[in-house]
Amino acid sequence: MTASTSSVAGVMTGPAGHRGWRARLAAWRVPLSILALCLLPWVLPSQALAVNVLIYGLVAVGYNLLFGYTGLLSFGHAAFFGTGAYVTGIAIGAFGLPWYAAVALGIAGGGLLALVIGLLSIRTRGIYFSMVTLALSQLVYYTALQASSWTGGENGLRGFTVARINLFGWTIDFLDPLKKYYVLMVFAAVALWLVSRILNSPFGAVIEAVRENETRARACGYDVERTKLVSFTLSGLICALAGTLSALHLAIVPLDILHYHTSGMIVMMTLLGGAGSFFGPFVGALAFLLMEDVVSLWTSHWQIVVGTVFILFVLFLPKGIWGTALAWRAGR
Amino acid sequence: MSAPLLAVEDIGRRFGGFVALEGVTAAFEPNKVTAIIGPNGAGKSTFFNVLSGVLAPSSGSIRFKGRDITGTPQHRFVHLGIARSFQITNIFPELSVHENVRVAAQAFRSRYDLWRDRSAMTELDERADAALAAVGLAGRRNETAKFLAHGQQRALEIAIALVADPELLLLDEPTAGMGPEETREMVGLLERLAADRTILLVEHKMKMILGLSDRILVLHHGRLIADGSPQHIQTDPEVRRVYLGQNDGYA
Amino acid sequence: MDAELIAMQLFSGVALGAILIMVALGLSIIFGMLGVVNFAHGALFMVGAYAGLWVASLTGSFWWGLLIAPIAIGAFGMLIERFLIRPLYKRSIDDPLLLTFGLGYVLVEAVRIAFGSDGIPFQTPPELAGVADLGIGFFPIYRLFVVAVVAVVLVLLWVGLEKTKFGLIVRAGAKDPQIMRVLGVDIAKVWLLVFGLGIGLTALGGVLAAPMRNVNPEMGSLVLAEAFVVTVIGGMGSLVGAVVAGLLVGVAISMTALFAPEMATIVMFALMALVLLVKPQGLFGKPVRG
Repeated sequence: MTASTSSVAGVMTGPAGHRGWRARLAAWRVPLSILALCLLPWVLPSQALAVNVLIYGLVAVGYNLLFGYTGLLSFGHAAFFGTGAYVTGIAIGAFGLPWYAAVALGIAGGGLLALVIGLLSIRTRGIYFSMVTLALSQLVYYTALQASSWTGGENGLRGFTVARINLFGWTIDFLDPLKKYYVLMVFAAVALWLVSRILNSPFGAVIEAVRENETRARACGYDVERTKLVSFTLSGLICALAGTLSALHLAIVPLDILHYHTSGMIVMMTLLGGAGSFFGPFVGALAFLLMEDVVSLWTSHWQIVVGTVFILFVLFLPKGIWGTALAWRAGR
Repeated sequence: MSAPLLAVEDIGRRFGGFVALEGVTAAFEPNKVTAIIGPNGAGKSTFFNVLSGVLAPSSGSIRFKGRDITGTPQHRFVHLGIARSFQITNIFPELSVHENVRVAAQAFRSRYDLWRDRSAMTELDERADAALAAVGLAGRRNETAKFLAHGQQRALEIAIALVADPELLLLDEPTAGMGPEETREMVGLLERLAADRTILLVEHKMKMILGLSDRILVLHHGRLIADGSPQHIQTDPEVRRVYLGQNDGYA
Repeated sequence: MDAELIAMQLFSGVALGAILIMVALGLSIIFGMLGVVNFAHGALFMVGAYAGLWVASLTGSFWWGLLIAPIAIGAFGMLIERFLIRPLYKRSIDDPLLLTFGLGYVLVEAVRIAFGSDGIPFQTPPELAGVADLGIGFFPIYRLFVVAVVAVVLVLLWVGLEKTKFGLIVRAGAKDPQIMRVLGVDIAKVWLLVFGLGIGLTALGGVLAAPMRNVNPEMGSLVLAEAFVVTVIGGMGSLVGAVVAGLLVGVAISMTALFAPEMATIVMFALMALVLLVKPQGLFGKPVRG
């Protein structure tokens, strides 16, 4: 043990495990994240922005499990995000199910889809994976477009507003933006806690090994394909949860949620924040949405700014905002 | 003579029309060091890949401890007791030296546990540290693997294979890219390991092989052209013919 | 269902397939040689269409647009490779992909700024308008023209790859870039040209497609997905696969449009899913692992 490690550094939490302050930060990452999320509506200029950061931050966290930690660049995660949203909306609107059942179904639906798409796409060679996931998620998009009697087609899914939530005897006015935020935040917090547990688990070490060197991981005795599939499905489940939250929040599900432009946005947020770090995705979602809000004030062509910023990040700041900050702090 | 640990029978491997291996038959006894040599393109890497499950043979069979393991998926091999190192260093670059070996050790304990805190699995730390000590890397435990010198990375390769506690170690050019000093250290390590394991290695450095091996197999154009003790190989006319003109210290 | 209608729809599919072949070939060539999946490929298709339109409106002739646009956009592609992608080769294999993805965004928005968001109709050049009576039916002349142009380009490509020194380098380099370096070939220049060629092909597809579709900034979005589908079905890095799969997909879409128009786009994705299930490496691709 070197002098820089402390007793807390006995916590092996991935590449940062052997550095004292990073290990301490890692041990507190869930409470700190939840604290930050609690403060968000008070710190940001609008509550609408806060909810979006919450929801898209969660999508990015789910995506990051696959991209940042397992090393698989999927361009089809909008399919799980969107399916979670649509299933929730349909469950409430068409079947009159209570909201918590709709959320459960939404998560399950997205997870099941992730399992299927994962099975089809993981068998392809490395770099084709991005193409295949994009194409398969477009299949979902066009199916939703066609099945308009279920999904509302181009107009999106409407008519499933949730006005009140009954939670353990309390009745919460869901139309109050602040109350809605904190209800959604509870879900996000639980998801973050679960993700943190996964990252700390033996499986967390396996996915990093797969990311670092697939060949070596296989030679060490890990079934790399099955590992990727598990990671892919978990990632899909989390993104589906974010989708259910989005549906509850907006009370509509726009068709574009399934388009690969949404997938691309998720990728951009994750990279902007810092793939492979726990806080990074939220930082990325915040940065992306802030940029969109601010630039839209000047011009309707904010996408060109976002695209350019993204290109600059890929070229010069591939670790993202948070990732670069961490690396800089570690003195590399 | 003890029962062979590993027996390969009539192993063949084709890639489309190209025959990389043909009719290779050999049996390997426990606790011996066997070297596999041959000119470039002889099929040594292909043979190793077949023995470690990276490639399935196109024909023939592999028996390990009496069981037919032909066609077993690659990731099962280390669980059978066969571990390998690679010619091109294959480590986990962003992880620390300790974590590199620890994750290799973890494969025998838990592969899909999503819940438990893995830092509580202290027996993995002990196994990893023991493997690092065996290869002399204990002092570099917390360094990031990609920053190690080449020779140290090769040693890490070996540690990763070693922590699996394999009965059979397949080492593909363990001294690749090493100078004389590092090669000597590696040979010393291999001699220590050979005491209680079976080792197969592919190598080019003839002096090293002659000193270290109990037995040498010579491959040429995918066929086994000689199989015997170092003395026997040195005097084999076929081997001399094949190596005529090679300048890797064979004198 | 009479034979004439089917024949015409079949031919329509071939014409559609011809466009897809141009795009997918460009994608495959770039991937096969550089290992880069160009996520800006659809956007560059669209840029090609706009470039053709712009040149045609300047010169008053479609033919100038057809000639100049692919070359100009191909040259633009070389600039992209030289300054944006080359710095990323040493890094993770995903980085060039990510960069081209961002570039796609920028290109689409740039075109919106320059030309507006509404579509611009592109008139079929008068020389190619109308139909030709080929006995079995009346076929649009323009589509015959598209098929002919693509066939000629394919022949030129084949000759170039099989018979020239450059083609030999491209074919060999696709297998092993290390050998190329050892042999003293300036691999950087080869990659530059190959990238330009791939972009030129997709731009040509864009110009050819312009009279057949509404030219708008979004037109590349579906094309990108289509190119991916064709490439997955045909087999990554396989040029023959790109041609066969392009035709297959074009005809499948066209024939489905005859019976169930709303399913036309879904059919191609379903085909891809089927191929993934049965032969994940694609019809002409190499097996995943020995």
